[in-house]
Amino acid sequence: MITISRTLLRLAAIGAAGSALTAAASPFADSAAGVGTSLGNSMSASATAARPRDAEWMKLKHTPTGQLFQLPFAMPKADEIAKLASGWQYMGQIEFGFIGGDADERSAQYRTYSDPDNGALLNNFTFTMKRPEGGHYVELQGGAAGRNDQYYGLEFGRYNDWKVKIFHSETPHVFTNRYRSLWNGVGTGNLTLLTGLTPGGTASTAADNAAVAAALAADAGSELSLMRERTGIRLDLSLTPTWKAYVGYALEKRVGARPIGVVWGNAGGTAPMDIPEPVDYETEDIMAGLLHADGLNVFNLRLSASIFRNNISTVTFQEPYRIAPPAGVTTVPAAGAYTQGRMDLAPSNQAYNARAEYTRKFPDFYKSSLTAVVSAGKWRQDDSLIPYTTIPNISLANVTLLPGGAWDTTGALSRPTADQTIDTRLADLTFAINPTSALNLKAKARFHETKNASDPFLAVNPNAVYNDADAATAGNQTRGLTLDGVTGVWGRILNDGSGQNLLLGANATPAGNLPIKSNIYSSKQHRVGSTADYRLNPTTNVNFALERETIERTRRERAKTWEDKAKVGFVTRALADSTVRVSYEFAARRGSTYTASTYDPGAFSSAIFPIPTTPGANVNSWAVRTNNAFRAYDLSDRDQHTANFRYDTMLRPDLDAGISFQIKNARHPDAAYGRTQNDQRSLNLDLNYQPSAQRSVYGFYSYQQGRYRQATIPNANAAVTIGLVTPLGTVTPENAIAIGAAPGGPIFPLINTWDADSADRNHVVGAGFRQDFGKVSFHVDYSYSIGRTRIDYAYTVGGAVNAANAVFAGERMPDLATDIGYLDASLRIPLTKVFSARLVYRHQKETIRDWHYTNLYATPIVPGANANAVPTALPLDGGPQDFKVGWYGVMFQIKL
Amino acid sequence: MNKTVRKRFPRFLPRSDFPEPNAMKFPSSLPPLRAALAASGLAAAALVTSIVANPKPPVPALNNGAEYVGEAVCVACHQAQNTQFTHTAHANVFRLNPKNEQEKISCEACHGPGSNHLKDPISPSNRGSLVGFTREWGTPVALQTAMCQSCHQGAGQTFWDGSVHAANNLSCSDCHNPMAKLSSGGLLKKPTINETCYTCHQQQRAEFAKRSHMPLAEGKMSCVDCHNPHGSTSKGLLKADSINETCYNCHAEKRGPYLWEHAPVRDNCLSCHNPHGSNHDKLLNVARPFLCQQCHGNAQGHQSTLFNAGGAIGGGGAPSTRIFGRSCQNCHSQVHGSNHPGGARLQR
Repeated sequence: MITISRTLLRLAAIGAAGSALTAAASPFADSAAGVGTSLGNSMSASATAARPRDAEWMKLKHTPTGQLFQLPFAMPKADEIAKLASGWQYMGQIEFGFIGGDADERSAQYRTYSDPDNGALLNNFTFTMKRPEGGHYVELQGGAAGRNDQYYGLEFGRYNDWKVKIFHSETPHVFTNRYRSLWNGVGTGNLTLLTGLTPGGTASTAADNAAVAAALAADAGSELSLMRERTGIRLDLSLTPTWKAYVGYALEKRVGARPIGVVWGNAGGTAPMDIPEPVDYETEDIMAGLLHADGLNVFNLRLSASIFRNNISTVTFQEPYRIAPPAGVTTVPAAGAYTQGRMDLAPSNQAYNARAEYTRKFPDFYKSSLTAVVSAGKWRQDDSLIPYTTIPNISLANVTLLPGGAWDTTGALSRPTADQTIDTRLADLTFAINPTSALNLKAKARFHETKNASDPFLAVNPNAVYNDADAATAGNQTRGLTLDGVTGVWGRILNDGSGQNLLLGANATPAGNLPIKSNIYSSKQHRVGSTADYRLNPTTNVNFALERETIERTRRERAKTWEDKAKVGFVTRALADSTVRVSYEFAARRGSTYTASTYDPGAFSSAIFPIPTTPGANVNSWAVRTNNAFRAYDLSDRDQHTANFRYDTMLRPDLDAGISFQIKNARHPDAAYGRTQNDQRSLNLDLNYQPSAQRSVYGFYSYQQGRYRQATIPNANAAVTIGLVTPLGTVTPENAIAIGAAPGGPIFPLINTWDADSADRNHVVGAGFRQDFGKVSFHVDYSYSIGRTRIDYAYTVGGAVNAANAVFAGERMPDLATDIGYLDASLRIPLTKVFSARLVYRHQKETIRDWHYTNLYATPIVPGANANAVPTALPLDGGPQDFKVGWYGVMFQIKL
Repeated sequence: MNKTVRKRFPRFLPRSDFPEPNAMKFPSSLPPLRAALAASGLAAAALVTSIVANPKPPVPALNNGAEYVGEAVCVACHQAQNTQFTHTAHANVFRLNPKNEQEKISCEACHGPGSNHLKDPISPSNRGSLVGFTREWGTPVALQTAMCQSCHQGAGQTFWDGSVHAANNLSCSDCHNPMAKLSSGGLLKKPTINETCYTCHQQQRAEFAKRSHMPLAEGKMSCVDCHNPHGSTSKGLLKADSINETCYNCHAEKRGPYLWEHAPVRDNCLSCHNPHGSNHDKLLNVARPFLCQQCHGNAQGHQSTLFNAGGAIGGGGAPSTRIFGRSCQNCHSQVHGSNHPGGARLQR
């Protein structure tokens, strides 16, 4: 919990670093780079809406599109602004008060991103000073002092010369308020079981189940959350009339815990449970830039660095059940030795980037211009690697450990650190020209590369040897296998030793699909295109665009894809009091040969052991991976139509309306399996009515629809053996992969096919009004959001689902349903010229029906086959919780 | 004096204000990459000479050759506007520390010289005598934009030309109100960045109202954290060079690179997430496990099994760890990548 004293310390530090504290609602947005552009919280909109409007402002005006400009806030005239003897002018306000009612609600949905507790509240303040002589100014703003969503901003400087911006903002992320922990040490990297639970379990699983149940029964659920705190400073400086520079620094801390799943046993398939993952992150962002603009030339240079540190790089957790030793474990460890596991968390990393932009205008050459951008970056992490397990003395069948090769030491690794690097490159060029006064043409070319410059990680224990040969070689031998110049035992033990996946492991039989090397993914993007913008008349434009984007990827199912796009757009203000914007785009993506079965054969054990050729040999692990008609949707062929329509109109001088809709249809013509279709629809209506400075009304409605269709074929668990006669032919080493991966073959019988249709539908309605009664003003904001997702599926009984399970499977999942309501009303009553009261009422509700979490809170132990079996799972996060709150606030405003 | 002032103005005018070319010339087609790299080098070389030379663009005439009348004349009639304008960054720059003659003239720096306006300030037929920034005034959008860009050039506005907003013929004043301080910064037409964007991007407004969403409604984030509305070299007006680099600005822990990478994650965060909002947990595009199964059709194991309603808790069948809770991520929790030596299955 952030305390006020902490806040004051921070503010004091800010003051020491900068100058005297003072005021400012200030622009923290740099639209070109960086984050941290929003200072406020969930209370800000209500406070802003309550501000009185300027009744003397000129009559209502519209934007060039035809939307009403909002009336500005009432502001003091120049001669009404308070002044000090020193010449400084100042103005400001502060709002404080109390909140009561249901604001202490603990639902995660209610609390995430905001902290509206009952009690005293310094809601917001702003203070601005400026000295006309010299043009110096100071601006300060802030709010929610001492709360988890507090924010502060300070800006000072000299107008048009230099400025310093300092900000601090905090955001709570609440993941769940229904987490039931089995561990001490939540938020740390060392989770020890609560009293009464036995690390590694006891000889009686039934007793372990009872102990876990007792521990969970004593815990009604608590919150797992983290706090994001971002603090930054930036200096902007005008060096000359045409050169500017800036330098900025920001520190972001994220501290807390969130639920994360871990799994145990049987090669990784037993008893997953939610543990609290500790989060203790620090990210430092450093940025400096040089800007030039002289009317003909623009030059921007930006250097940036992002240093991310994870102060808790692993989490070690005790586990409360006795896990059976994995197949292949010989004599040790003894039963019950698997007492704990360890996750390796996000590695500390660094990113650096340099970017230069240059534009040269040629006004005498058809008003042309040339823009060039180059950017280069490097992402790097070199965390020390942790051993496969913390469990000592793990011994696996058919493997002899050499000195220093124990699985719980880094001697079992092929290298001690991660040593991962990605280089990024960008070159972007645009040439624009105006052959006539009404025609603008552009040619564009872009190259972007994400190149992983790392050596693959080899899953090999170099300090271990096999004590037997492969199945094809008789007799005992002691040897390792060599690949890429490294000799040892290939594969890895899984999940802290509770599972293993070693080549020539327990039964000394080779397999073709064991991951033995990490895949290194890189990509290159080339994009070329041209646009034409033609002005038909002063109020109407039509534009065209053509583009080809080619992406080359390493170690993916498809080495190269290319997408051609054609777009036409139309904008007109020719209609009376209206603006119409219409566009349509067609995009067709195609690519090189698609290999569904594997990413890269070199990354699997098939690189060491080619597919067997002996008649009768089972070649499943070489031949069977993904059916060859399956397509990953980011690589598959795609035909996509996108249409946008937008109509803004001024129905009356004080009433504007807007209607828009978007349609996007995507089909994947080469994907018989995988994602086959994605459609998106959106319809939006808006009304805005401002009959006077004392009254305004708005309303909107949005409807959205999304649809995803997919299909696949589950495995029939059939063998693929050399010499097997199938409807697709007799299996040979040469055709085994083709037959094994073919829909309709022995592995993928068509009767197993199933497909699913996921359809999202959303309605959002909002309305609000503001009415002044003399000096008293009242406003209401209301919105209601309805979200539904229906997932239907189709299958053949006896195929993907057997008859017994089909009874329960039915034809669809229960709908995912979310209803979110929000109402904020406030009544502002001026009591004196500088003192006002504001009464606030807020109503919020949210209901969620999500089959992922149905009955989960009541069932934190999903039982196994029987009382003596390890549970199926321990889903200790009970999931989202409905809430419905109403709270009121009494605020007081003092104007300086 | 006014003539002297006008000569010093660096201005660009819209296409219509330039003489027609004698002949149309088109650039030859550009081979993609090599041309980009070569031209980048040439552009860098041109930079040095051009900046040293510091050339000035041509000085066009504005408002039919009108003369500047000075701010005091404007304020004499437009007192209400002046009250609001006094509190803007524009006024503070123009009045308290102008850097050039253009800035010193304040009102006419944006609206152009006002002498012709004074001849008939009321008649709609005389609106061409000033540059206006409202629908009612009728100044062509291109001229409005050119006026703003006479000062607001370079930096974040470098890529305005050719941006999707420019292609849709938006004016600066479709988003900004340069005359009043409604927003804490940026002289927006609404009090916040998000409200301003929502006036056209209602689709995104609806997405931010969904079950999982970025914290825009809660005031902790703005559209400009990710997007540059003034133009970008990236699709979607993103501020960074790619989608993933945009996301890493706040999610630096996802940047890795990891020992064991997940290919579509490295490629594009949007493979799985809708950054604006979703009906599903964690901004996912589709509910798990169906989302994962749109790429994972591997036959060996469980990836292509139909996990159905019967597997939910209380669904009637045997509860499946691939259905309830985090579904696939109950076990494959390191879906963004694993740095564990045994993490090829993204479980540690």
